[in-house]
Amino acid sequence: MKFSSEMAYKSADEMMFGTAKKPVKAKRGLVFGGGHVIPEVVPHPRPGSEKTMKSLLREYERANGDALERCVIVGHPQLMIENEHIFQMTHNPKWGGEIAAQTAKQMDDYLQKYGLKAAYRSTIADLRKPDMVNMRDSDYTREVLESFEECAKYADIISIESMGGKEVFDHAIIRNDIAGLLFGQAVLGGIDMEWMWNQIVAIAKKYNCIAGGDTNCAEANTAMFMAGGFLSKDVPHTLAALSRAICASRTIVAYECGATGPTKDCAYEDPIIKSVTGVPISCEGKTSACAHADLCGNVIAAVTDVWSNEAVEYHDMFGGTTTAVFTEILGYDVAAMNAAIDLGYQKEFQACLVNSDKYRGCHGFMLSPDNAWQIGKALVDNNASLYSRGKAAAMKCGELMLGDPKLKLTVFEKESLEGYMKDMKALPAKETDFIDMCLKKYSKVKGFQPKAYGL
Amino acid sequence: MKYLTDYSNIFTRFDLNIEVARQAARKVSKDELLQRVADAVVKGDDEESAKLTKEALQKKAPMDVINEGLILGMNEVSRLWDEGVYFLPQVILASDAMNAGICLCEEAMGKAMDKKGKVVTHTAEGDIHDIGQVIVNALLNANGFEVINLGADVPVDKVVEACRLNNPVMVTGTALMTTTMTAFPKIASQLKRLGLNIPFVCGGGAVSEEYVTSFELGVWGKEANQASGMAEDALSGDTWQTMRGKWNG
Repeated sequence: MKFSSEMAYKSADEMMFGTAKKPVKAKRGLVFGGGHVIPEVVPHPRPGSEKTMKSLLREYERANGDALERCVIVGHPQLMIENEHIFQMTHNPKWGGEIAAQTAKQMDDYLQKYGLKAAYRSTIADLRKPDMVNMRDSDYTREVLESFEECAKYADIISIESMGGKEVFDHAIIRNDIAGLLFGQAVLGGIDMEWMWNQIVAIAKKYNCIAGGDTNCAEANTAMFMAGGFLSKDVPHTLAALSRAICASRTIVAYECGATGPTKDCAYEDPIIKSVTGVPISCEGKTSACAHADLCGNVIAAVTDVWSNEAVEYHDMFGGTTTAVFTEILGYDVAAMNAAIDLGYQKEFQACLVNSDKYRGCHGFMLSPDNAWQIGKALVDNNASLYSRGKAAAMKCGELMLGDPKLKLTVFEKESLEGYMKDMKALPAKETDFIDMCLKKYSKVKGFQPKAYGL
Repeated sequence: MKYLTDYSNIFTRFDLNIEVARQAARKVSKDELLQRVADAVVKGDDEESAKLTKEALQKKAPMDVINEGLILGMNEVSRLWDEGVYFLPQVILASDAMNAGICLCEEAMGKAMDKKGKVVTHTAEGDIHDIGQVIVNALLNANGFEVINLGADVPVDKVVEACRLNNPVMVTGTALMTTTMTAFPKIASQLKRLGLNIPFVCGGGAVSEEYVTSFELGVWGKEANQASGMAEDALSGDTWQTMRGKWNG
């Protein structure tokens, strides 16, 4: 695997929602990043439906079917549906495969009957928890890979939210330990991603399926959720932002192994990824409020190619089922963005999105296209190793946060950030020295097995 | 790109409005050496805490080092956390520092320190998202409870058996997804059948108050940092019904 060495975009000014340097075409006519934004709805099954394959198939038939139907009812021309596997769907690979086959048929029927263009993303659950199993050699590992095989036969896109490095990350994030984040996310996460994604890309090629992408949901999103909003005192927002910058070093590995996007929606690092790779990205923001809050609900759409709602549990609302309702909302958001594109107002629309959140908080600030691009540039300019590029991305993120007076920080946040910057500056320059230091420092972290990462 | 100069119509940074003034930790011990032990806990420095504990053990009885140094330091950390000066990582680091000292004191005593009570914690079967449980474990530990940590992806029977064997004051369950929290009512019903009417505090990403209060024994835990307060209530003899009345709607 070759580390990225140049930027796909010469400047942030070039980056725009709806268009990617390397668009991806799916069967049934969708083109991700081909000039317009596509909505992505993510139904989640109700508790109890997971009891049998039959009950789960029925649940998804309804949930996914309602989304397709709502498109036709209100006139949305395109839709991606993602099903993130619950435990049972990956643990029993045939279940995930059957659901993918059923959904593909539903989409074929809607294309034939109405001309609705749709695509299906199957996101396999990473059952491997590092402190519970050997990441490379366990029954769960085999089930994950087998699930990819089953789903790639029918899905348009396959993805995963991989877990490499989580045992060290969990230990570090609640201890203000920036070195632990670098080791867990950038180094261990990146190593595990390369091991996993070479196999995923091979499986996708075998079945003529699209290898979509990965996300650092298990780590950077954990940090972001723990940082919370303006009332939370769990994790500093500045630390969550640095975690986000670091994770770009591992998430990008999927694309360096041959994945093409569209990327995973909950990878908030996607604007950084797009600046470097040019792949089409899926993002979530205000319309993922059904799943969680965030402080970048609009700015995250500034350069997106697919607009998602993260996940919504299937049940009734006044306006219909949740998947129908959110499909309608997402589709209208996307219609406005696409109208801006076709009217030539996309720059102005983008400016509105950015101004909504750039100074709302640290995540909005660092994921604003101009800053995301600079963080991406730091990553490619320091690409000697997973560690060096992760650290460079974090340092750049920290410099940007401290250097812009319009980003207001509480005294606590500023002191915390200055502390993290100081800690990073004191770390070894070379990855080998850093790994040696970390293998000693984290040797007692519950479940950390260096050999599970080939160390 | 055009940028605004005034964002007051766009968002309000409420965190800046409610920012608590930075304040130093207070002195908590009358003894100078034990105050330094407490300071190490407040700073979250486990190496310093161990070093100073060793020094203190040469002059003081282990239980005095624990009660007049380590625990007083942790109490000061709890105060700073309650007042919004400290964030969670500082509490966790302080807990690590306190435990580093307690380990040495227990070695000196030749036995483990008496804990307030036992709490069994687990993350639901089929669910590996356990950071909420990690935080609960650390906070319970920091507040003097013995944590029987069953880990993640724990079968129902194993949770019930752990409760039967350990007779805890409380049991907790964490789940991120609605499709894994379905294990909780099964645990509750088995506990009831065994006559173990232990408050069963359930929380996590998709776990709702409505769901948890739909079965007996269930008390909804909105946030991990409520765990130690709930454990204190359970320890003092509150039933699950009383706890539900206090902590839930």
